[in-house]
Amino acid sequence: MGKQLYLVLKNLRRNRRRTVLTVLSTAISVFLIGSLISVYAVFFDNEVREESALRLITRHRVSLTQVMPYYYGARIAETDGVARICPMNWFGGTYIDQRPEHMFPRFAVDQEAVFEIYPEFKAPPEQIEAFKRDRQGLAVGKTVADKLGFEIGQRITIQGDIYPFDPELTVRAIFEGPDDMQAFFHFKYLEEALGPESGSEVGVFAIKLRSASDASRVAAAVDDMFRNSPVPTKTETEAAFQLSFINQLGNIKLFLLSIACAIMFSMLMVTANTVAMSVRERTREIGVLKTLGFQPGSVLGIVLSEAMLISLVGGALGTLITVFVNQALSEVAVQFITGFRLPAWGVLACFATAILLSVGSSVIPATIAARANIVDALRHTG
Amino acid sequence: MSAGTAVSLRGVLKEYQRADYSVRALDHITLDIRSGQFFCLMGPSGSGKSTLLHLVAGIDRPTDGAVEVLGSAIGEMDDRSLARWRSQNIGYIFQSFNLVPVMTAAENVELPLLLTHLSKKERRERARSALEIVGLGDRLGHRPQQLSGGQEQRVAIARAIVTDPSIILADEPTGELDAQSATDVLTILERLNSNHGKTIIMVTHDPRARQYAKESRYLDKGRITEMPEIQ
Repeated sequence: MGKQLYLVLKNLRRNRRRTVLTVLSTAISVFLIGSLISVYAVFFDNEVREESALRLITRHRVSLTQVMPYYYGARIAETDGVARICPMNWFGGTYIDQRPEHMFPRFAVDQEAVFEIYPEFKAPPEQIEAFKRDRQGLAVGKTVADKLGFEIGQRITIQGDIYPFDPELTVRAIFEGPDDMQAFFHFKYLEEALGPESGSEVGVFAIKLRSASDASRVAAAVDDMFRNSPVPTKTETEAAFQLSFINQLGNIKLFLLSIACAIMFSMLMVTANTVAMSVRERTREIGVLKTLGFQPGSVLGIVLSEAMLISLVGGALGTLITVFVNQALSEVAVQFITGFRLPAWGVLACFATAILLSVGSSVIPATIAARANIVDALRHTG
Repeated sequence: MSAGTAVSLRGVLKEYQRADYSVRALDHITLDIRSGQFFCLMGPSGSGKSTLLHLVAGIDRPTDGAVEVLGSAIGEMDDRSLARWRSQNIGYIFQSFNLVPVMTAAENVELPLLLTHLSKKERRERARSALEIVGLGDRLGHRPQQLSGGQEQRVAIARAIVTDPSIILADEPTGELDAQSATDVLTILERLNSNHGKTIIMVTHDPRARQYAKESRYLDKGRITEMPEIQ
């Protein structure tokens, strides 16, 4: 094996530019695959946190854009197994301008319930109390506060777009926790501003359960309660809700898979051509090796090992690039998508991609080289 | 095959099949070459000299007839056994040297030793000795492109002898060399024969090369014929 590796390394140094370019192209393809896996992981491979397992989301059965009456909240709260509910309205609006750096999700919520339902959001108790007391109070995630330089007591104005209302808010609490890229203000403030008719409409109800094992029973009970009403509901786990939110964008899985296949196929063609070219150039040399007594299996092993080594180095490089880019992205975050990461299975998939590329691209040239007739190989010119 | 015979060919026929015709390269050749012989096979281009050498080396198989080398019926061996046998018994010198360009002279010579169980140090030592025999002990680290044609062929000779084979096959070894380099190469081959007891089988169309051989034959259109008068 060591002797074969010696020949493999010698051959890879034969045309260094080509070797480096092939490694880089493999690295880029692995990076692209790794990035797709990271996007997939953000959407579909998020770990369900303990707190999240205790939450259900109720929305209009037809669509997220449809609203429910506020009084549904009281009915849901009476359901056996429900510990607490919180109405939540996506406010939208514009802070300063439409530039991405000024974008952050803003929700009108029940200020008394929100930190009970989302206990993973931590803030000093006095700040939470101050937020609850101030009808125009704003609780903002630390990531947003750091990014936009918000401080306790700072006044900001959000320009409404979905709602014809510009809330004037005071930062009362800065909370930390996973996905703390959002802000909450009082549902009552929105309700008062919009009047009793449109102010009493709710986008979703977040439900905190007494026990995670009650999830399916409570969800069915809530939906049964409104089944024959003009506004039927759909209640699902938080994870399923997030997934349905994502699925509104289209069949993301198919989309990601299509791109991955296109990348794989094009890289397979490029790498196969490179390996074939490299073997063709060495046809006479392969004839010499066989004349010296090298077995066809050794020749096969040498060519496959060359492709494998290139792919493994390229794969490692591509995986490292993916991890670094994910790290950078997780710090700046892209719009509302956070938590870019390459899961452990993604690292394996990256290396599997690299190995698949190497085997797929070299198996035919290597077999041809191994089976080459010695006399024909020695006569080869070119 | 009698004792002392290194190579025995009996009624060897070699035909190459093409799409719509066949070429007869060797036409029922019967030939014996004794061990320790410096044998020269002459003939014009296309006469079948190299084909005969390929059959003796076991890198090609006859269409008909029997090829026996060092007591082994090599036509009956499978490819794996033949490759192993070749690495142990045959040293091959090509007309165009066929050195690996990315390897130094020492590394090129070491190449056949990769098939042995020798340690790296032992391989290095043997390669050095082989290069010293051909007078290139001071060119160990030189790559082929840093050597002259004559030196390249001497490296190729070192590669052929490094495994200490019984038979050295040389296919037009002086074909791409100037007169002085050709003389050097032929002298080395003669020395390998006389001092080291190697059986040398050389095919060439160079009349001067014949003077170094102990025995010569002439091949024309695939048949052994009378040696023509050299002009």
